[in-house]
Amino acid sequence: MVRGRMVPRRRWLAWLVGFMLLGGGVARAQELTIWHDLGDNGTKWFAAAGEAFAKTHPGVTLRAISYPTEQWFGRCIGAINTGTSPDLIYNNYERVIRVAAQTHKIMDMQPVLGGIADKGFLSADDLRVATYAGHMIILPVQRVQMAFGVRKSWLDKVGETPPVTWDDTLRVGRKFQTEHPDGGTAPVFAFALEAANPRDLIHMLDLFTFGAGLRHTLIDDAGAVVIDERQHAKVLEEFLKVFTTYKMVPPDTVNYSFNEMYQVIEGGRAGMFRVGDWNVGKWVKQGPMGDFVVGPWPQFFADRKSAVVIGGMRGVAVPENSPHKALAEQFAAFLLGKAAQQASLNFVGAAVRKDLDVSGLPPQSQQFARPSWNLIAYDFPESVHPWYPQLEASFHKKLMAAIASPPADWQAFIRQTAAEMRVEAKALAAKGG
Amino acid sequence: MRHWLHREAVFYLFALPFAALTLLFGLWPIGLGIEVSFADSASALAAVPDFVGWANYASVLGDPAFLDSLWRTLLYTALAVAANVGFALFYALLLDSPLIGRMRTVAKLLVFLPVVTPEIAGYVVWRWLYDQSFGAVNAALALLGLPGFGGIASTSTALLAVLLAELWHHAGFYVVIFLANLAIVDRALLEAASIDGASGWQRLWYVVLPQLRPAITINVVYALIQFLKTFTVVVVMTKGGPNGLTNFVSYAAYRLFDEARYGEATAMATILFALVMLVATAAYVLAERGRA
Amino acid sequence: MRARGLWRVLAQVVVGVVSLVFVYPYLWMLSGAFRSTRDILAAPLHLWPEHFDLSGFGSIADVGGVSLLRCLVNSVVITVASSVVAVAVAALGAYAIRRRPEALAFRLLRGGFLLSMMYPYMLLVIPVYLVMYHLGLLGGYLGIVLFLALGPIQFFLFEQFFRSIPEAMIEAASVDGANEVQVLWYIILPMARGVVATVAIITFLLNWAQWFPVLVISASPDTYTLPVALLNMNGELGTNFQGIMALAVITTVPPALLFLLAQRQVMGGMTEGAIKG
Repeated sequence: MVRGRMVPRRRWLAWLVGFMLLGGGVARAQELTIWHDLGDNGTKWFAAAGEAFAKTHPGVTLRAISYPTEQWFGRCIGAINTGTSPDLIYNNYERVIRVAAQTHKIMDMQPVLGGIADKGFLSADDLRVATYAGHMIILPVQRVQMAFGVRKSWLDKVGETPPVTWDDTLRVGRKFQTEHPDGGTAPVFAFALEAANPRDLIHMLDLFTFGAGLRHTLIDDAGAVVIDERQHAKVLEEFLKVFTTYKMVPPDTVNYSFNEMYQVIEGGRAGMFRVGDWNVGKWVKQGPMGDFVVGPWPQFFADRKSAVVIGGMRGVAVPENSPHKALAEQFAAFLLGKAAQQASLNFVGAAVRKDLDVSGLPPQSQQFARPSWNLIAYDFPESVHPWYPQLEASFHKKLMAAIASPPADWQAFIRQTAAEMRVEAKALAAKGG
Repeated sequence: MRHWLHREAVFYLFALPFAALTLLFGLWPIGLGIEVSFADSASALAAVPDFVGWANYASVLGDPAFLDSLWRTLLYTALAVAANVGFALFYALLLDSPLIGRMRTVAKLLVFLPVVTPEIAGYVVWRWLYDQSFGAVNAALALLGLPGFGGIASTSTALLAVLLAELWHHAGFYVVIFLANLAIVDRALLEAASIDGASGWQRLWYVVLPQLRPAITINVVYALIQFLKTFTVVVVMTKGGPNGLTNFVSYAAYRLFDEARYGEATAMATILFALVMLVATAAYVLAERGRA
Repeated sequence: MRARGLWRVLAQVVVGVVSLVFVYPYLWMLSGAFRSTRDILAAPLHLWPEHFDLSGFGSIADVGGVSLLRCLVNSVVITVASSVVAVAVAALGAYAIRRRPEALAFRLLRGGFLLSMMYPYMLLVIPVYLVMYHLGLLGGYLGIVLFLALGPIQFFLFEQFFRSIPEAMIEAASVDGANEVQVLWYIILPMARGVVATVAIITFLLNWAQWFPVLVISASPDTYTLPVALLNMNGELGTNFQGIMALAVITTVPPALLFLLAQRQVMGGMTEGAIKG
């Protein structure tokens, strides 16, 4: 295991490797590597950004490698801890937090941000969701928005307009399931959701909760459990009923993660689903083929406006032991410039700048880029409480059990669960928090 | 003296590459993994971890959910080993018999095909075959007028569904091992037995099966090791569900890894490791003792 | 005679049904590569595609920045190399252990080897990465090949074969004045030809589908093999289902062909090695 105090026998090996790396680095004449998990679209974006960057930095090439998300964690942590880190890493804020927590080697981007003049489009909220333990661990480059999507032609077929309130949504959902607006005979469901992993199910719950205008799902900023508060309990109850009483999702949803959820959406088996700004590019050419409208999530309460949820920020982070640190910082700043941001919007569907050209984009993408709807930002409890993932996993287990054998009285179940969660939260906070 | 040394040294030389690989790529990473299990999760992967002794093990073993997972893993393994080796033996004997004519080669290929199909793709297909709303299994059953199969959505059928999918992928390998061993069964002995008037079943029981004993042992031990570590099928098909039914230890540990509870995750993995050692050794010792 | 005919029919029906069940998912995969998701979910039983949609195959020509051809070449190189190394290492190791089973070092070695096969590998991402880093083997073919050269079945098969050689035969050769290397080379190996081929082929078939070491040890997609390319198709930005099916079909063909050609060897290869008295 690598330690600060290395055994002398290994030291010469480390020197040798380091020397080789250094020599290799000089010989390779400025190639920046960036590790992300956005797949082919992300790689194309970085290629375009790299080309634009090379215009002002001749001789610099950019190499972007995408890993499946779980592998991305292990590789980044392992690489940074062994001094073989890439120049830059890119991911969602909450994922970079994990890497920062296990390596303590992610540089503070404050100085880099300070050196950028043109940054008025970044709000205080955006920057808050880039800061962890007092450091700005990412330079936020993409705002991740998640809207509520509905199949347009299906709405037309059943004679409805896009649902606004939860009651509207249920009514439309029922019509979808009984009237077969897709023209076929195979089963059709109101919603396409995911539930297999804790982050799958609770994320869906987050969307309905925040989308309804509430500010927390399981715990608030102080770590107090909120699920049995009147309005929170209502959303939770309705959410669970979608799986059980209303039967508005495929029964296999309990095993679905995002792969399967996408299959159901692209296979035209569901009428209402989450649409992320990054999905539009593909769903305009395949699957729903552009046949969907996007908007805020269903409104539950008259006193709260419904919203599109900002699922977070994606950004670029620079490891302290980045091989070409100065150049990496320059590239990071470059990603906030117009050229890179335009490429981001074109390839991935998301950006932070507000002055980009949206004319070439599909209508749904334009709505994301110039949002006229209400926006609400997710609260990232795990950035405040490191024990949150464990509590969330426990919550997930209880909800899954309830979905498997639905209780007669949902509100009683919610009160009971809240009490159990409180006990557990207290224990977790006391242990290490 | 020198001649003796040279003689013995040669064997050590032969074994050297094997030993090197085993140490470097087998035992060393495991050692590192076990080391992490003694560190506090928050700093487990950092350069200077904070070691907490047996705390992770205590927390894992004290968790009823883990014990549940352990029990379920053992149950599934027992069923899977029995089903796979049993089916493989039956099918290998069938394929080896003269009752099958020209079908033999094609049948062998088809049963082995799933073994070389990438697991990810194979299980994705089974995932969709089992789907309650869009799957071919239920569509076929409906066509035949039979009741639907709960597949991986129902707690009563999920274990069976996973077992069948894994059997599809793994059994062919065991069939091949058995067929290879059946090919070296002593024909002379068989003929002698049939001349002595032994029936087909008697020949099978008293001549063929005893000669297959080493193959059965290898397959059972290999299958035990394989199925105790059941992982990919859960990742692709059930993600531990439904309702934790297929949350086997490997997957549970992997999930913990995702929650950044690295210390506890590796503690779980090490416990599983110890368990596999125990079970495999026990099986092997029992088999070897029976041989005498 | 009639009873026998009945048994024959029954046996063939059983084999037929089992074969059908075993091949069906593969056929589904094949047709899935050509059908749109909509068709797949709407009519799950149809195996013949309604429309031949070749976009699945087109989309995998380039996976994660590396051409499919490159992945194929990597698969071939890595699998062949690791099979050769695996055979050599396992044969030598198993032989040495068989000749001196009482030696403490060998008993420990055998135990240690078996032990190393028992750990759940998926949690070893970071340890394997660290080990490869310390050995300087990150990023190249060598680390992957060496990692894949270690396997339980190879050792078991050689061990079983060497055990079946009577001690008397070896004694006879040494009495004739041959040293150990000569005994191995001139007496044992010619007998082992069948087992060597069997183990090599089985190693090839098993290693072809391996993804774990390739993913962990590779420093860039340049050394990715086909199964790893498959893994990378499950990204968060979207799932390329047809691409996955198409790639899975392509990945399965070479080992299936090899098996077909070599199956007699694989399943009969032990015959040559069997020494009976």
